[in-house]
Amino acid sequence: MLTSGPVVVMQVPEELNVGAVNRFMLDVKPLLETNRPRMVLDCSQIRTIDSAGVETLLQCLEEALKRDGDLKLASLSPQSEVILELMRVARVFETFETCDLAVRSFSALPVDPTPQDAPWYTTVFGELDTLKQAS
Amino acid sequence: MPKAIVIVEEEKLVVQPADLSAPLSQNAIRHSALPSVEILGQSVVRRTIDTLVRCGLESITVFSGSLADADGFTELPQVVLFSPRDLWEGAMKTLAEHKESGTDAVLILGLGAYVEFDPNDAFQFHREKGSSAVRGFDDQGPLNFWIVDPAQVPDGSDLISVLQRITATNYPVQGYINRLEGPADLRRLVVDSFNADCRLRPHGFEVRPGVWMGEGAQIEKDARLVAPVFIGRAVTIAQQALITRCSNVERNSHVDYGTVVEDSSVLVNTYVGIGLELSHSIVDGNNLLNLHHGVLVQIADAAVMRPNKSLSRTIRHLWTGFGLDERASAN
Repeated sequence: MLTSGPVVVMQVPEELNVGAVNRFMLDVKPLLETNRPRMVLDCSQIRTIDSAGVETLLQCLEEALKRDGDLKLASLSPQSEVILELMRVARVFETFETCDLAVRSFSALPVDPTPQDAPWYTTVFGELDTLKQAS
Repeated sequence: MPKAIVIVEEEKLVVQPADLSAPLSQNAIRHSALPSVEILGQSVVRRTIDTLVRCGLESITVFSGSLADADGFTELPQVVLFSPRDLWEGAMKTLAEHKESGTDAVLILGLGAYVEFDPNDAFQFHREKGSSAVRGFDDQGPLNFWIVDPAQVPDGSDLISVLQRITATNYPVQGYINRLEGPADLRRLVVDSFNADCRLRPHGFEVRPGVWMGEGAQIEKDARLVAPVFIGRAVTIAQQALITRCSNVERNSHVDYGTVVEDSSVLVNTYVGIGLELSHSIVDGNNLLNLHHGVLVQIADAAVMRPNKSLSRTIRHLWTGFGLDERASAN
């Protein structure tokens, strides 16, 4: 079934470090364990982030992608952005200046209606009948 | 015989995050003014004093609150180092002593900027003009460098207020000038040096075109250095690391496995952890200043960045045992 729920915006706590990541994961995991989760993490409150925090963000992204969903980051402070760049993960995430922009980005492109088990050429050339007509 | 007084100005302003025009805070640069920060193997202070020594000045009195013997001034007999509570007051007393001894010209340098000039040419200019004082300037305005006749300098409590009162003839400085007003200027000085836009040269051996290394630097297998770069004394670059695009890794620092250092300065005694990507930044211990974003970040995670551990006593003995410079191990 190709359905997707609403975009969930979640506030990331001020401290996303080794002492706080377990609690954060407990909160966020149920939201990611849905069909095609679409989530925006509001990072505006982050004051401290360490390597454990970055790893947690990666885990969240992995969970979302595993279920054909996506996770985007919004309102990152320059400091957090520097940390993500330093740890080579900045380019892995889609980032937005505001939560609003991040939420709207989910609707900018419609959710791909192609089932995951469809043949590869349907995404490249369209339906086989169309291709035959064109040739 | 001309003499010189050098005042290494202390930074008093505190940097605000995202404010690149302000000087680095004490946190960022560990209580040092920018001219005292070691770049490409030597500080701007040391390089300036070496220039003055080469020009044959009879005595050079240095006033600084942050310089240590590690800067190697003890090996220069002409140089006397003072650390008074008020640098400019101390400088005034020294100028009064020069006046009593009948010195006809004293060069006074307030070191904040890196200025390339020929002191002998400046002294000649002072003699020809016959004025009580000349002051260096460039197209951006006056510089903190004067040549004065001590006999014609009025009395006062501190030298800077006295110098501001006297009328000086302008001496146009033609050489390279970097005012070192903020951390971005420090990076610019490094890049300008690599591009040969100034006379400042890396202090080390050019092991291949554009790659300079200090004594005892260790580049592990599969680490890659892309010119121009500088690797300082006793630095370790671990396997798979990449140092590129005008980067400098200063004395006793360690760049760990797989880390990329691009267009960045790693200052003395700094550890940079595994698998990182450091770009457009200045790092000092656990302080990371990103010039691209204009932010100062303090890294709490010691596995990521930290002040590098001091060399052990055993290693120090090994260094001196091999006849190498003992200062290389004094951290």
